[in-house]
Amino acid sequence: MDLLSGITLGLQTALSWQALMFCFIGVTVGTVVGVLPGIGALAAISLALPLTYYLDPTVALIMLAGIFYGAQYGGSTSSILLNLPGTATAAITCLDGNPLAKQGRAPLALFVTAINSFIGSTFAIVLVMGFAPVIAEFALSFGSAEYFSVILLGLVAASTMTSGSAWKALAMVVFGLALGQVGTDINTGQFRFTFGQYALADGFSLVALAMGLFGVAEIISNIGQPPGTVHSVGRIRFRDMLPARGEWKRIWAPTLRGSVIGSFVGALPGTGPGIATLMAYATEKRLSKTPERFGHGALEGLSAPEAANNASVQAAFIPTLSLGIPGDAVVAVLMGAMILHGIQPGPNLITNEPEMFWGLIMSFWVGNILLLILNIPLIGLWVKLLSIPYHLLYPGILIFICLGVYSADNNVFDIYVVLGFGLVGVLMRRWGFPATPVLLGFILGPLLEEHFRRAMLLSKGDLLVFFERPISAIFLALSLLFLGSVFLPGLRKRLGRQATDT
Amino acid sequence: MDVLKRKILATFAAAGLAMALPAGSLMAQSWPEEPITIVVPFPPGGSTDLLARKIGEAISGPLGQPVVVENRGGAGGTVGANYVANADPDGYTLLMGVTGSNAISAALRDDLPYSPTEDFDPVSIVISSPLVLVVRSDSDFETVEDVLTYARENPDSFTHGTPGVGTSMHMSAELFGLVSDTSLVHVPYQGSAAALQDLLGGQIDAMFGDILVTSEYITSGRLRPLAVTGTQEHFLLEGVPTVEEAGLDGYSAFSWQGLFAPAGTPPQVLDTLYAAVSDALQSDDIQALFRERGFLVEGMSPAESKQFIADEVAKWTEVVDAAGLKN
Repeated sequence: MDLLSGITLGLQTALSWQALMFCFIGVTVGTVVGVLPGIGALAAISLALPLTYYLDPTVALIMLAGIFYGAQYGGSTSSILLNLPGTATAAITCLDGNPLAKQGRAPLALFVTAINSFIGSTFAIVLVMGFAPVIAEFALSFGSAEYFSVILLGLVAASTMTSGSAWKALAMVVFGLALGQVGTDINTGQFRFTFGQYALADGFSLVALAMGLFGVAEIISNIGQPPGTVHSVGRIRFRDMLPARGEWKRIWAPTLRGSVIGSFVGALPGTGPGIATLMAYATEKRLSKTPERFGHGALEGLSAPEAANNASVQAAFIPTLSLGIPGDAVVAVLMGAMILHGIQPGPNLITNEPEMFWGLIMSFWVGNILLLILNIPLIGLWVKLLSIPYHLLYPGILIFICLGVYSADNNVFDIYVVLGFGLVGVLMRRWGFPATPVLLGFILGPLLEEHFRRAMLLSKGDLLVFFERPISAIFLALSLLFLGSVFLPGLRKRLGRQATDT
Repeated sequence: MDVLKRKILATFAAAGLAMALPAGSLMAQSWPEEPITIVVPFPPGGSTDLLARKIGEAISGPLGQPVVVENRGGAGGTVGANYVANADPDGYTLLMGVTGSNAISAALRDDLPYSPTEDFDPVSIVISSPLVLVVRSDSDFETVEDVLTYARENPDSFTHGTPGVGTSMHMSAELFGLVSDTSLVHVPYQGSAAALQDLLGGQIDAMFGDILVTSEYITSGRLRPLAVTGTQEHFLLEGVPTVEEAGLDGYSAFSWQGLFAPAGTPPQVLDTLYAAVSDALQSDDIQALFRERGFLVEGMSPAESKQFIADEVAKWTEVVDAAGLKN
């Protein structure tokens, strides 16, 4: 089936009134669960899945997928306005989004994230339409050695991410790595650092960690703040949302780079939007001529990760739809939904179920347009959230956080975890330790270990495997370049002027 | 006033009666009086989830009570199983247990907080499904014999991927190694999709995979089936020999799923439940679904199931001990 007839078929499916209605329900639910801290796409889809048993499979998937990418739009809203990440992956958005809101530019920040989300999604959807099978085959050539090198690059890139004391940031990366060690060792099945707690057998949940360090910590830190922090919000004019003329050029390049990084990471199974946003943010900070503005409301630091997480979420469908291998944990549940509806995802899906494949992809597009239409008028409403007094707002948010963390696995232990990390987060703030590096270590550390050990197992302990495999070698070289660009300027100064001529 | 007095008296009488009779039997006669929960020890969307929902739907009518499915994932199914092991044995909290949670884990873990043989009263082993040994279709391995020859000449070189230590995919491969006296390299992954990805990408040699999932890749010509692990030919893979037929005498391994109640559940409740499950398994709907999924209908009685679990635990304990996998 050629591209054009595919698009026609897809539009016929996606624009049927049923598909449109459920797409709208999906993206609306997605936006709402995205905005509510703690309840993310994974929990929402798991809860909605049984409700779709009686729907037509394509329509059911259109709705569930809508929740997934809709949540990426909503997740940034609470990050920007309240410094509380709506989803675990939106934690990065707090870094520059919230300072913008504190400067009174919340409408602008929300507008930029909506547009960026749309651009990131569109970029990845075009990739899925045109090149899904080719990209999926390319992703198959990534073995553990390649994954290791890519993740190492991510770690190296992101290590330059935070402003403030480098030692404190490093300490927090190590703290994150240590937390990531908790759980079952994949290679032997041994429990590590679970202290006899069966609930820790799968490690800490990322949602509980992120919601604790960012969400609960923010709430506790604000206890006892004078009530003067309540903002009075006037009518939001459309003009307030638009970037000033000089600001557009700070937005478009990071958005494009973010889209590319997000699509690449998303298409690799087993990664996810968390890594995509970290890498996109780090890249922008590294490329920027004025990295000191990051963390203080830099539009680049807002644009790139937002584009990246949406691109990554859409690109995660590439390996899922063309090979039957889920791109990340949420897509894995979506794949389960397909199986429940009697559709076996696999290499034959595109040929056997063209209506579903094209219908789903075109619905992504329809859904993203709906999200844009939905989100821009909502900006005025969201900003009004700021005028709710803290003593009413925060208890409500705490309840949502606990609900969301609990609903992921129906496990009370996760609530203790989120509250525990909330306290840790408060202490970290008091002594000026940044929280983002903890997430970085926690997400990347276990992946790095898993792929390193598997690469060693498969190469019988030969370290050269990382250099002999070309893709791996390229990423290692990039990591070295990155490190070089960090240390070289200092080195040059020491070596004196002569060195700079070469 | 009079009405109230009578009510109080009646309550006391009922309480006295309840104390005089064995508590279980009174309860069992009126069971079920409230909704029944089936705990699925995995997140929604997997095959255990599907099975629990279909069975739950089918027995809800005859039992006259709603059946709710609750997902409690974690630690390969042991978190959910532990939850049910500690639930009240009143027939209202059940487990859809699997090979890993209700047999292999007992062999593998000393610190398992429950005992699959002692803490559960099985209702019925509902279905079983063999696995299939698959390689890439461009690989040199055409038969099980090719694999064995290669593995004997190159010890510790033939790699196979699994969704983790102690899964039925892992244990089937360990048994394969024990029976054939070869040593294969176990490459564990986070989930079977990741293992499949590396098999397709040529990073590993083989995998003992789920029949339904791999059949997609077999029909599309990417994977080649060498043998099924069960005791007979599988209807989704006609013409593929069993591992035993392919030359490994006495080899048989398969994964299964079954409904479990906490130990101490009144026998009448187990019997009522079993009758409902047994009827459900006769329905055309469920038969058709199971066929499509590649499940073999077992429908064992509570007594048969109990014996089956004991045998499975013994079998996998032997394999775990012989392979030195104990944690």
